[in-house]
Amino acid sequence: MSETAHADAHEHHDHRPTGWKRWVYSTNHKDIGTMYLALAMIGAIVGTAASMAIRVELHEPGVQFITDFQFYNVLVTAHGFIMVFFVVMPALIGGFGNWFIPLMIGTPDMAFPRMNNISFWLLPAALILLVIAGLIDGGPGTGWTVYPPLANADFHPGMAVDFGILSLHLAGASSILGAINFITTIVNMRAPGMTFHRMPLFIWAMLLTAILLLLAIPVLAGALTMLLTDRNFDTAFFSPAGGGDPLLWQHLFWFFGHPEVYIMIIPAFGVISEIVSTFSKKPIFGYLGMAYAMAAIGVVGFIVWAHHMYTVGFNVETRAYFTLATMVIAVPTGVKIFSWLATMWGGSIKFDTPMLFAMGFIFLFVVGGVTGVTLANAGADQAFHDTYFVVAHFHYVLSVAAIFAMYAGFYYWIGKMSGKQYPEGMARLQFWVTFIGVNILFFPQHFAGMAGMPRRIPDYPDAYAGWNMISSWGAYITAVGAILFFVVLWKTLTSKETVAANQWGTGANTLEWTVASPAPFHTHEQTPAIGTQPAAIGTQPAE
Amino acid sequence: MTEQQNKIKLRTTVTREPKTRNGVTALILFGLVGGMTGLAFASDPLYRIFCKVTGYGGTTQVAEAPAESKIIDHMVTVRFDANVNKSLPWRFKSVQNTIKVRLGEQALAFFEATNVSDKPIVGTATFNVAPFKAGEYFNKIECFCFTEQVLKPGQTVQMPVTFYVDPAIIKDRNTVDVKTITLSYTFFAGDDQSEAQKLQTTHVITKDEENILISRESSPKG
Repeated sequence: MSETAHADAHEHHDHRPTGWKRWVYSTNHKDIGTMYLALAMIGAIVGTAASMAIRVELHEPGVQFITDFQFYNVLVTAHGFIMVFFVVMPALIGGFGNWFIPLMIGTPDMAFPRMNNISFWLLPAALILLVIAGLIDGGPGTGWTVYPPLANADFHPGMAVDFGILSLHLAGASSILGAINFITTIVNMRAPGMTFHRMPLFIWAMLLTAILLLLAIPVLAGALTMLLTDRNFDTAFFSPAGGGDPLLWQHLFWFFGHPEVYIMIIPAFGVISEIVSTFSKKPIFGYLGMAYAMAAIGVVGFIVWAHHMYTVGFNVETRAYFTLATMVIAVPTGVKIFSWLATMWGGSIKFDTPMLFAMGFIFLFVVGGVTGVTLANAGADQAFHDTYFVVAHFHYVLSVAAIFAMYAGFYYWIGKMSGKQYPEGMARLQFWVTFIGVNILFFPQHFAGMAGMPRRIPDYPDAYAGWNMISSWGAYITAVGAILFFVVLWKTLTSKETVAANQWGTGANTLEWTVASPAPFHTHEQTPAIGTQPAAIGTQPAE
Repeated sequence: MTEQQNKIKLRTTVTREPKTRNGVTALILFGLVGGMTGLAFASDPLYRIFCKVTGYGGTTQVAEAPAESKIIDHMVTVRFDANVNKSLPWRFKSVQNTIKVRLGEQALAFFEATNVSDKPIVGTATFNVAPFKAGEYFNKIECFCFTEQVLKPGQTVQMPVTFYVDPAIIKDRNTVDVKTITLSYTFFAGDDQSEAQKLQTTHVITKDEENILISRESSPKG
């Protein structure tokens, strides 16, 4: 049966399952996107709880309430895994991706709707495995990097790390299936007239993210399998006793791990590009440059992994190369930052909540980017390695900036997703509380790190007490911001105020604003012709 | 053609074939995933080869005896470091602390291992040199670390290593500053303990084995 006939069948008797079947059996991109977002929120609650426990423990020197230091390590590990695999990725990729790829490219649904279902449902299973890992045999205290020999059977003899590995296998399979779906959809199912160079930047971001996922996740899967057999079946990939090398793990992990950080931030770039353009009421500045800057970041991201391992004893040429390659990334990233600023320049800017979060994103990302250039120096990194300076750096770029993109995307699209208007005043309050909170939380960590405060320790010398206390207070403020977000969410979903199909007006030119709000269960059953759609205005380069 | 017909033509061209086209795209992408997974596993042997070839991580080189003519009058100090993994009940030490050799000159050093347990054990040694950058120029001609070693309960053996430092080390601007090279060994219990079990179950040492053991104890060339 052709797709057209299929779509027509839907038109005649709108097939819409109800109750639990609607969700468990779902093949609808919007429902699956909603489930991804809900899972990300659940993950965020758990991951934030872990980080709050960490910050409370670090509030003062000495032991506050975590007497079992392995438990502290487990908290650090859980926080990392959950935030990466069960918050940022499901929200930015699974959530917004599923919701808005079909809407923005003008196609009824994803290429493989049933595969979409399994991609999602692998994720709760993975989360359950991770929770089990945390509850048995003392939990995995390896950090999210799972370095052997700490992750070997010698030091983690129970099943906790094995469960953690299986959890990541499932999460990885979920991402791979999702990525294949995304790429196939974007490559094959764009509305006629939407050439690659006329796709919205969000679609570019999702396409590139999916490609990075396909190249990076299998390497993690392979490395995890090797670790699993090292632990259980006496292989010696990472064990010197059998001729292996623990450093091989670090190479494989970071060959995945560095692209992974771009997998988390490139979707954020896409979201921010849409929002900045919409609220400046201008097409994005340097559209092609923006798209290819993301591609360049993705490509270079695969050849810089060893900057995470400067202290393992590389020779000076290796360090020089990785320093240089890493700094090159600042060029396309700078292209993006300046293009966002140039888009805003001379624009008729509306400071609604999504725009506030987008501008917050740009600020936070620049701060994290600057410290990134500092850390790229192999020489300087010898001193900064494994200190709170690194913690501050990567929290600025990929947690706080990514979270700001998630908040921005939420406020930008919640009208389209729910049909309801979020409470603007409370949302702005949430922005300011969060923005102040995260800066008080993470900025002092630079100073603590420069003074030598190491990562992943539950206790520390008195000298670091001051910055740690300020940082913990920042964490509490950020938590208030997070609670406010859930209040806003509840207020929005119970609100009686509805929004128009194009709630943002003239600046919002992409195709999702041409369908009703909330977006009907089935959309774009008639393929939109791009030439007559406003989508052409917002995203195409001048011809 | 009217606008309407045009539209219909467009729709049929994009919507007729996508099922197979999507399948082909997905197949290619699954292939890519398979390829990357394969590469991940291939990385293990590739990494070993890479280390061997480049001396990366202080991996030493294996070589034939050097040509006498290549010896140059430039001394380096070679220090020796011996470690035992905690799960292996052996004592292991180097007989001499340091040797001074001329570049290109063949040298012989001894290590001494004692099995302090009450059963025979197979041990295998890993090795590297520090600084790592010297690995490329550190050539072993013969080494006990090339094979697994079996020690009977209470047995002590001397283990030889013959090596030379490639004179090219002073031509490389990165290694010209190297005055001291530390050769380090760590003994681990071997994964394959069948040789030890043979000794344990028979309890009688055959003539051949005895000869081997005697030759090991008496002649350091072993």
